[in-house]
Amino acid sequence: MTKKYAFFRGCFVPVRLPHIEAVAQKVFSDMGISLVNLDDFTCCPEPVGVGINDKMTWLSIAARNLAVAEENGLDIITVCNGCTYTLRHASHALNSNKQLRDKVNGIISDTGHAYKGNAKVSHFLEVLMNDIGTRKMKSAVKYPLSKLTIATHTGCHILSPKEIMEFDNPFDPTTLDELVMILGATPADYDKKTLCCGWALMTYGSREGAYALLKDKLGNMKLAQADCLTVVCPQCFYQFDMGQWIASRKDIPQYNLPVLFYLQLLGLAMGYNLQEIGYDSHKVKNPEFENKIKMR
Amino acid sequence: MPISLEYKAKNELLQKFPKIETCLKCNTCALVCPVQYAGFSPTNTYVNNIFSTQEPEKNPNIWLCASCHKCEEICPYEVKPLEVIEALKDEAFEKGYAPEAIREEINQVLTTGYAFPIFQSLHFINRERERRGLKPLGERKVGEIKKIAGKTGLENKMAGWKKK
Repeated sequence: MTKKYAFFRGCFVPVRLPHIEAVAQKVFSDMGISLVNLDDFTCCPEPVGVGINDKMTWLSIAARNLAVAEENGLDIITVCNGCTYTLRHASHALNSNKQLRDKVNGIISDTGHAYKGNAKVSHFLEVLMNDIGTRKMKSAVKYPLSKLTIATHTGCHILSPKEIMEFDNPFDPTTLDELVMILGATPADYDKKTLCCGWALMTYGSREGAYALLKDKLGNMKLAQADCLTVVCPQCFYQFDMGQWIASRKDIPQYNLPVLFYLQLLGLAMGYNLQEIGYDSHKVKNPEFENKIKMR
Repeated sequence: MPISLEYKAKNELLQKFPKIETCLKCNTCALVCPVQYAGFSPTNTYVNNIFSTQEPEKNPNIWLCASCHKCEEICPYEVKPLEVIEALKDEAFEKGYAPEAIREEINQVLTTGYAFPIFQSLHFINRERERRGLKPLGERKVGEIKKIAGKTGLENKMAGWKKK
């Protein structure tokens, strides 16, 4: 039987990176998992801008989203570290504190929803590892990416705080490197691997700081001979792709490091072409990388 | 002690977060903090800058923190600077010092269900979605969000600021 997930797309992917949404639908469908769109989902809400400033509203809107999945009898799959952080924080807080849960259920009662705590939240990497499994992934890899050295950037909000996110070691994450190796590629061993992408710096007040950060991070990837980098969060994607493109007009070197969402790399290894993974939407393109893909 | 002696609300802050007292300014957090790139240095670290200004809730730098949790995970004395920064943001937000980018983002979530404006460019967004074989985007359940924000008081708070 095909396993079904409620597809929590969030805001960033469906609005600004629809090609990632399309790739996610295609890859999971080919892997035998069906992603169901639920019209009732809203913004998770975003943790840094909304979450910190009004915790009760943040928890309540998140609880409503979790309840929507529950009422459809589905667990949630996310394609964003921020959505995962918000939804997992909310379930953790509401499942461990009955008083808080009652309070939040009181707040959302007028919406016709009630949070019970039955929907599990998984980032798509967890679905790949736990539901599909490495053996099935390996057998799906028809065109190994053996010519590529790939710098992995797991991002912040899926790693920390580790007691709640329970994903990987925040200072030495290896899951994404293992998943890159399954595709036949070599993970780049680079300095500043766990440094943030700089999205919050860029958005909330220091563009120059964000450029300096990008220069350091991308420079280290380049030093480690990376052909491209891979991410698992749309904000990281945008920051490294669009951010790199904007920064390249400033006084920093041209790195020309293409940014690939992990699902795009998986798609390439399964035999999709660059057009099918939406590479034409990318800001940073590199002919050398494209050749290595064509020769795979 | 890293908190400015001149900070009026320092007792309240210390009562809430007594661990700040144990900060030795060892600067270990600065090794992993992304905000260090915004013009901070080993002798004037981001965390030190936040802790040592006279009215930290008015310090615009508090908004640069991405809540990546690295500082609290690496701190050898379990000071958890992030909890303090988040509490300061909370206080600043209450008092109306939050930057426009934050307020507008919250306004978007409450009025559209998306974290940023999409409706002016919806035509282009949906054209791109169609090209990718995806269904168009539309309105989200804003009525239900409005009910939630009404009950938590956030809606009133936002309306009050708009008047100002």
